[in-house]
Amino acid sequence: MSAADRGSWRLVAVRDFWVRLRERSFLISTLLNVTVISVLVLARASGGIGGPPSFDLGVVGDADVIAIASATAERAKDAHIEVRVHEYPTYGKSEAALRGGSVDAVLTAGRITGFETIDQTLLALVQTSAHAQAVNAVFDEHHVPPAERAAASNDEPLEAGVLEAPPPHRQDNAAIAFIGVLLLYGQLFGYGLWVATGVIEEKSSRIVEMLLSAIRPRQLLAGKIIGIGVLGLCQLLVIAGFAIGLGTLTHAIDVPGTAIGAAALDIGWFILGYAFYASLFAAAGSLVTRIEELQNVIVPINLTILVSFVISVGSLQDPNSPIAVAASILPVSAALAMPVRIVLGAATGWQIALSLTLLIGSAIALVPVGARLYEGAVLRTGSRVKLRDAWRAA
Amino acid sequence: MLELVDLHRTFGDVVALDGVSFEVPAGHIVGFVGRNGAGKTTAMRIALGVLQADEGEVRWRGHAVDTATRRRFGYMPEERGLYPKMRVLEQLVYLARLRGTPKRVARERSSELLTTLDVIGDPNAKVESLSLGNQQRVQLAAALVHRPELLVLDEPFSGLDPVGVDVLSAVLQRAAHEDGAAVVFSSHQLELVERLCDGVVLIDHGRVAAHGTIEELRASRARNLWRVEVLGADASWWDVVPGAAAVRTDDGVAVLELGADVDPQRVLDVARASGDVVSFGPVRPSLGELFREVVA
Repeated sequence: MSAADRGSWRLVAVRDFWVRLRERSFLISTLLNVTVISVLVLARASGGIGGPPSFDLGVVGDADVIAIASATAERAKDAHIEVRVHEYPTYGKSEAALRGGSVDAVLTAGRITGFETIDQTLLALVQTSAHAQAVNAVFDEHHVPPAERAAASNDEPLEAGVLEAPPPHRQDNAAIAFIGVLLLYGQLFGYGLWVATGVIEEKSSRIVEMLLSAIRPRQLLAGKIIGIGVLGLCQLLVIAGFAIGLGTLTHAIDVPGTAIGAAALDIGWFILGYAFYASLFAAAGSLVTRIEELQNVIVPINLTILVSFVISVGSLQDPNSPIAVAASILPVSAALAMPVRIVLGAATGWQIALSLTLLIGSAIALVPVGARLYEGAVLRTGSRVKLRDAWRAA
Repeated sequence: MLELVDLHRTFGDVVALDGVSFEVPAGHIVGFVGRNGAGKTTAMRIALGVLQADEGEVRWRGHAVDTATRRRFGYMPEERGLYPKMRVLEQLVYLARLRGTPKRVARERSSELLTTLDVIGDPNAKVESLSLGNQQRVQLAAALVHRPELLVLDEPFSGLDPVGVDVLSAVLQRAAHEDGAAVVFSSHQLELVERLCDGVVLIDHGRVAAHGTIEELRASRARNLWRVEVLGADASWWDVVPGAAAVRTDDGVAVLELGADVDPQRVLDVARASGDVVSFGPVRPSLGELFREVVA
């Protein structure tokens, strides 16, 4: 093979990149991804997890009632919750404020009133403060010394602990991992399908014979896979950048570092997963001549990716379940299942190393298999080519 | 010179080529003629490296053909193929670049060719928006755009209108006789082959049944036929000439086959003695007649 011939895959790659970039379906898939991510990120941001919770507490009554409200605000501060106290001269005015929504609840002597419900966190804070005031009144009456008071009024006498502390920011990480696996699924399936339809397009328009009189089948296949893959990668970068930007702006993600790490991880696993699946998609595409026949030949690949996706989403709940661990190591599902476990902090070093070795090894082994099937089938138009015939013909 | 040397190829139980050998010299146009399924397309695909031969070799200028050499060949497959949704000019430039032509040169030549081949339509329009005849011309442009040293065209004239046939004929003659390319094309339009080609290869059942110039084919294949028109002669006036036999007769016109040792002048003398000779001359079989004789 001459030097000039070796470079012809680049021309093919550049063509495939630009042609797909200008296709309407690319624009639609980008917009769809951006929309789905926006919805997910904004839903999370408005869920209140983004910032610390805060409450407005109306209060009407004597100094004792006001003292309970002030104590509540102090107690809340210790728990990183903000409670703003608003005093009203009459109950009527405080009720109007409650109905108007400018306060979350109104505290009066012996009673706390909400509009329809009272937030459990606020209620607990106020109840505890009221209880402490009542207990203090009894202590005053019996002249209890300060040291004993402190011990008796400690409302958290037990030290709480767990055997295994969950990784920090678990909620955040699960959200990031979910978005990540969703994106990866879409990219692997979508771009793999594009490789298959690209092969069929060349076969059904018969241009493949023109192309193969100029370059070798492997150069054509490599160019197509790389061109489409690079486009997928660029789209993934844009979408990940958008997701991180939006998430950080809306405080839906507290730790942009984790999100950036997860995005990098997704991109790396996309490359590996795409390398694994793309040559299979290409081989499948080369077996048929019409787009309508494609569904029949890609069912096995489709199902594999779908099952991997379902297992990966399931492993968000229990990343150490045997099925999640197995899926993250097996090459057919690792590209989707492993990044989830890594983001959740569940994958161990040896598992990652084994998974990478198997995936890279099998991708390298599959490329010539896919290429041979492609070579054997791509010039045979008409009825569907059998796998065995394609293999023998090459 | 392109040389196909003893090419064999089978598809399952079907023998497509059974020892095909012929040459296409530079500067020559060779017509590739045969019935459907005779092996023309298979031989052409093997010459272009699209298919592999089971046995045999393809040589260009005396050397086995490799991928780099093939990039200097131009090909128009029987099953026409272009990217339907790609723009005309962009597509030609792309195909030229795949064969190693620099981008700028490819662009210039593509524009030139679209004018030469009289392609009607916007060069920036998608191929699918052109009429079929225009798509065919674009296909031809794709085969020519990199100025190939060898042009292989599978049924290039099928589907062309008479003007298109003239344009293509002129293009092929220029490529061979002015630019020195070796040109080989298959066709069922035998009068076109006869008019355009310097040589003919006749293939039948995967074997070369005859090849050479048309005159050589005539000389080797044709029977010694003479057409005589005589007024007022008796029927079978030629019976007195030993070695002369009528192939057909029609109202005073007889086509006679003469034996190798029969002097045509003797036949003419007998004819004049029998009546008034209106015309007398040898019958030159057309390529179509030769073809039928060979494949019959």
